[in-house]
Amino acid sequence: MSEIKLQDIEALLETFEASSWSEMTVKVEGLELFVSKTPGARSALLAAAPADAPAAPAPPPVLSAEPRASTNGGAFRTGAIPDGWVAVRAPNLGTFYRSPKPGAPPYVKIGQRVEPTTELCLIEVMKLFTSVVAGVSGVVRQILVEDAELVEFDQALFLIEARA
Amino acid sequence: MPLRRVLIANRGEIALRIVRAAKSLGLETVLAASAADRDSLAAREADRVVTLGPAPARASYLDANLVVHAARSTGCDALHPGYGFLSERAVLARLCEEHGIVFVGPSSDAIEKVGDKLAARRLANVAGVATTPGSQQLATVEEAVAAAEQIGFPVLIKASAGGGGRGMVIAHDAASLRDDFARAAAEAKEAFGDGALFLERYVERARHVEVQVMGLGDGRVLHFGERDCSMQRRYQKMIEEAPAAALPAPTRRRLHEAAVALLASIGYRNAGTVELLYDIDRDDFYFMEVNARIQVEHPVSEMICGVDLIRLQLEIAGGAPPRFAQDDIVQHGHAIEARILAENPQRGFLPSPGRIVRWRPPQGEGVRLDSAIEEGSVVSPYYDSMIAKLIVHAADRRRAVARLRDALEAFEVDGVATNIALLRAIVGHADFIDNRLDTRWLENVFLPHHGQQGG
Repeated sequence: MSEIKLQDIEALLETFEASSWSEMTVKVEGLELFVSKTPGARSALLAAAPADAPAAPAPPPVLSAEPRASTNGGAFRTGAIPDGWVAVRAPNLGTFYRSPKPGAPPYVKIGQRVEPTTELCLIEVMKLFTSVVAGVSGVVRQILVEDAELVEFDQALFLIEARA
Repeated sequence: MPLRRVLIANRGEIALRIVRAAKSLGLETVLAASAADRDSLAAREADRVVTLGPAPARASYLDANLVVHAARSTGCDALHPGYGFLSERAVLARLCEEHGIVFVGPSSDAIEKVGDKLAARRLANVAGVATTPGSQQLATVEEAVAAAEQIGFPVLIKASAGGGGRGMVIAHDAASLRDDFARAAAEAKEAFGDGALFLERYVERARHVEVQVMGLGDGRVLHFGERDCSMQRRYQKMIEEAPAAALPAPTRRRLHEAAVALLASIGYRNAGTVELLYDIDRDDFYFMEVNARIQVEHPVSEMICGVDLIRLQLEIAGGAPPRFAQDDIVQHGHAIEARILAENPQRGFLPSPGRIVRWRPPQGEGVRLDSAIEEGSVVSPYYDSMIAKLIVHAADRRRAVARLRDALEAFEVDGVATNIALLRAIVGHADFIDNRLDTRWLENVFLPHHGQQGG
């Protein structure tokens, strides 16, 4: 197989997103690609890889832990969302919280039915918490962000299958 | 404390400039951008970009909580505010102080001290820096005439409750002061609900001069000479120069001493500019205000002093002030900056956003361009219209003017309207070449004539 191009990866991701698959692993010369619709999922390949811990305590990496092309939120920012599904996006930069307070059950779970005014999460900016509502009637299909993670303006947080 | 990772809370050329300066010092950079700027040149060069909010500045660049939250959650230990936006809001510096982030600028206390106009005037007086001579509140017209004779005509009649130039009347002699006093009081009463008046010396022909200073944080304050920014339209600077070549050398020295004394009196840290009004006819100057940040026109001082002021800001913030002393700062030659604006001078300087389809800036010896524009860039309607700063440096003013003229001649921009043709005409004018300028020259002498030519 000749060298894999960016367009090839984009085509693969589009195919994956449109499918009902939950995970996909692609291995070609010089590239291993693992994508999952489950937040926080890890590739068996990656998990098996030896940890190469730095000798000295290093600062956390400046680059986002999640590559831009990850289906874990990033790809949906460009708009490749299944027909009839709606992305609920961050109104501004902040820290994402799934529960009203630490230890409390999350506002919503995957598969749960929501109404436009149903609260989905909190976005915190310097201890000021703003709730984000669904804005649509439907069923929560995906939660794209980990609890307590930094989210940016316009980042997709939830995917909701719209239903009347 | 040595810095490791700096958040840049700005956009455009200054964001790019700070990203590059920080990287040259080995710092990691995180750019906090609005949605309109997440693909900008600065965003591409920064190690990481976070999107604060939508394009309008109120929901992105002007939200101090968002900016500091972004700095904390990306592991930044310093924050550079650039100029404009939140750069002179004490609240941003204070939030940084409270959350262990080094603010690349003065302390929040210092920002507050120099930010309040009356408090800053008091500081200036205590430090022995003259402010515009003026009177107390005046009860009667006879009191006003007596005060005016002490101040010296012409005088400006000002409303105590006024602001922004409203309610101001110029009186050239006692007779016109008598005529205008009652009317000014009635107008002030009408406009502000308070008829109280006071007088201030009116400077007929003035230059806007300013001194670039850098407080090292250990009590020492260095200066990097002065700039002349008299070329203004509606208080917006269009061309800036260093040094202020029209001023006598002893006056320039006194300017530097005044600026250093003023900021040393409060132990000022990091970059600041002391703005003064130079009275051409009296060869004297008065304190106007302190800008507690790096300024747009800082490059002209860099060119003549051979320093990088942004790097210096970061070094001082990181607790490693430069080793050099005032005597080590030696000025060479003359530098001029022209602000390239996406504005249409033919249509009342209407902002002209759009896509830049052709961008051919001048190059060559002694020519510097500070810009984040490339061919294909979009000039957003949401922000300031400045798209580039063209800076030239030469051995003396005459050669610098010639270099600027050639550089402007070579500058090609298509896609948006710009002020480049206007700048060419200004730079070719005899008054500019001979440096016979004051703060009203552009609006009162040049622009009306320029308009009549239809060009």
